[in-house]
Amino acid sequence: MSAVTFPRKILTALTPAMLAWLLLIALCLGIGLVAASQVLLKGLVVTNMSDTVPWGLWITIDLSSIALGAGAFTLSAAVYLFGIKRLQSVVRLAVFIGFIGYTSALLTLVMDIGRPDRFWHPWVYWNVHSVLWEITWCITIYLIIMLLEFLPVVAETPYFSRYPLFGRIAHLLHKAAPAFALAGLFISLLHQSSLGATYGIVKSRPIWFKPSMPIMFILSAIAVGPALTMAVALVLEWVQGKKQVPFQVLRGIARYSGFALLAYAYLKFWDFASVNYYGRTPAVSESLYLLNQQTPYNFGFWVGEVIIGIILPVILFLAPRFNRNPVNLVLGALMAVTGVVMNRWNVTVGGLFVPLSYSPGTQYTLPPGVYTPSLAEWGVAIGIIGYILLMLTLGTRFLPLFPRQEA
Amino acid sequence: MAKKRKIKLELTRRDFLTLTAAAAGSVVAAQALTTGPLSPFSMLKQGQLEGKQPQGEGHGASGPYHWGMVIDLDKCIGCEYCLRACSATNDVQADRPWNIVVEERTSTGTPFFFSRPCLHCQVAPCVEVCPVKATYVREDGLVVMDYDRCIGCRYCEVACPYDVRKFNWEARTDENPYVPTWGIPEVERRPRGVIEKCTFCIHRIDEGLKRRLIPGEDREATPACVNICPVGARIFGNLNDPNSRISQVLAQNPTIRLREELGTEPSVYYIPPREGL
Repeated sequence: MSAVTFPRKILTALTPAMLAWLLLIALCLGIGLVAASQVLLKGLVVTNMSDTVPWGLWITIDLSSIALGAGAFTLSAAVYLFGIKRLQSVVRLAVFIGFIGYTSALLTLVMDIGRPDRFWHPWVYWNVHSVLWEITWCITIYLIIMLLEFLPVVAETPYFSRYPLFGRIAHLLHKAAPAFALAGLFISLLHQSSLGATYGIVKSRPIWFKPSMPIMFILSAIAVGPALTMAVALVLEWVQGKKQVPFQVLRGIARYSGFALLAYAYLKFWDFASVNYYGRTPAVSESLYLLNQQTPYNFGFWVGEVIIGIILPVILFLAPRFNRNPVNLVLGALMAVTGVVMNRWNVTVGGLFVPLSYSPGTQYTLPPGVYTPSLAEWGVAIGIIGYILLMLTLGTRFLPLFPRQEA
Repeated sequence: MAKKRKIKLELTRRDFLTLTAAAAGSVVAAQALTTGPLSPFSMLKQGQLEGKQPQGEGHGASGPYHWGMVIDLDKCIGCEYCLRACSATNDVQADRPWNIVVEERTSTGTPFFFSRPCLHCQVAPCVEVCPVKATYVREDGLVVMDYDRCIGCRYCEVACPYDVRKFNWEARTDENPYVPTWGIPEVERRPRGVIEKCTFCIHRIDEGLKRRLIPGEDREATPACVNICPVGARIFGNLNDPNSRISQVLAQNPTIRLREELGTEPSVYYIPPREGL
């Protein structure tokens, strides 16, 4: 019977606006599929990556979407480990966004590796000394944790009411939520930092090689991840015209995010001061000189990462006259997200732009690694955006993302 | 509600015993798995004893051989024969040579020529970062690639301080301009999507040793770049053998290694130009 009512519900929901929205998503996905098929057919030659800049836009997307998925573990830990029960109303949404973020990263990674058919190798062939191996494992485990955390939500949908066993398993899983939150916290602290360590340990690249890298990555992730969840909750509220989460809760998240961004700013300031000023080395000086001469690195750093990414969101999130207005909170979250993406781009592409110098003589250095993403790379990026929008749309339509007020 | 929220902190005797037993059990299991006969590592050690190549511990040469090279910057005339012979023998794509030759200057401005194969580091950054152990340091000190295992993530390419590694961005269809003038391919082309790099002509070394040839002395067992050098600027051999030619050259000449401060322990040494660098 429900098989009859199910499609009719969809049909009645197809307003013109919804149709246009779905068309937009289909367009994004179409572009993504065309680009992806090019990559799979012809190989990575269709990208603008080269032997000097072997990582580019796609790695930036991986790093950003994983960092922005950090709301999942942060808010789960807040609710289930630190007992901040009023955040309960956003945890499901946070885990859902985290799941979308991590799956986007995996989709992009499959495009990015030269042999997608061997994506499973890190699970079988271990190199425990590699941070990338550790990241692959952590991401896999964390994806499973998120699935288990999210299964109770899926089980609540009307469709599954006919399978009582499924519901019972889901209930058991729900009871284990604190355990998942603990495991998620542990695993996320590991891999969110290791993503920074991926760069921080490369001793041949002067502007990467520093121990602050992993800490800056995790701090920015736990600051901005929850803010993104908050913004998505607000936007969903506007679109659906239905208040799901009390505004005070979202404002609380924004305030937390503001303080976390301040902590990030503090670390970033000292990182900047010690690397660029107090403890300047010739290699770092030369690298930054070259970057500032030939690329908009400085602009990206100060305007993108510091002003848009930290200062403005901090003001919008913390100043009482601003943070009472939900529009400002969404705006702040968007800026903070932009800051994180800019940071990951600057780190990756900026670091690779600086040529290696290993020759014993004085003349020879490699040419700088000039890189702008190709059409195919943008195409895949648009496809990923399409995937994110599709998942969000389907999720809000068919999943009980906001728990009914528990007694 | 308030009662429920309270976390139980009492530990019953039963809990205590369970925990102790679990802890003891884990210790025993960990012991058995790392050192006992059940351990996967014990097999690895067995393999090493039988003379098989271990899958990359990353700690450098541990066997009777450690293959190395000396490049005499004072002798090199920059003819690029090494580049060409290498590209022909290993069927390398012409615009992405494994072995580069470039013009250089000393600090006083005197020109010299600098060439660079893979340096076969004993503490190789590329080996440390590979997530699947597709690249590893063999017992004879060679850093080798397993093309069947590489997933093409290019982290090794990013991590190599010497720009040695090259990626196969597409399936190869190019014609090799160095064949047959400078040699004929002795190895297969690498497939699309994997990393490749200089191997010190590993196929010659392995085959040569089987036929009891001495790499570095017998031409058939020596890298193509060393054989073709018209001025003998490249010396190849076993660094572990104090009587090999390379060991004697190293003992008699001042040498440097590239970016020694990184601690990568390269197996390639350079004799600087006579006037110094």
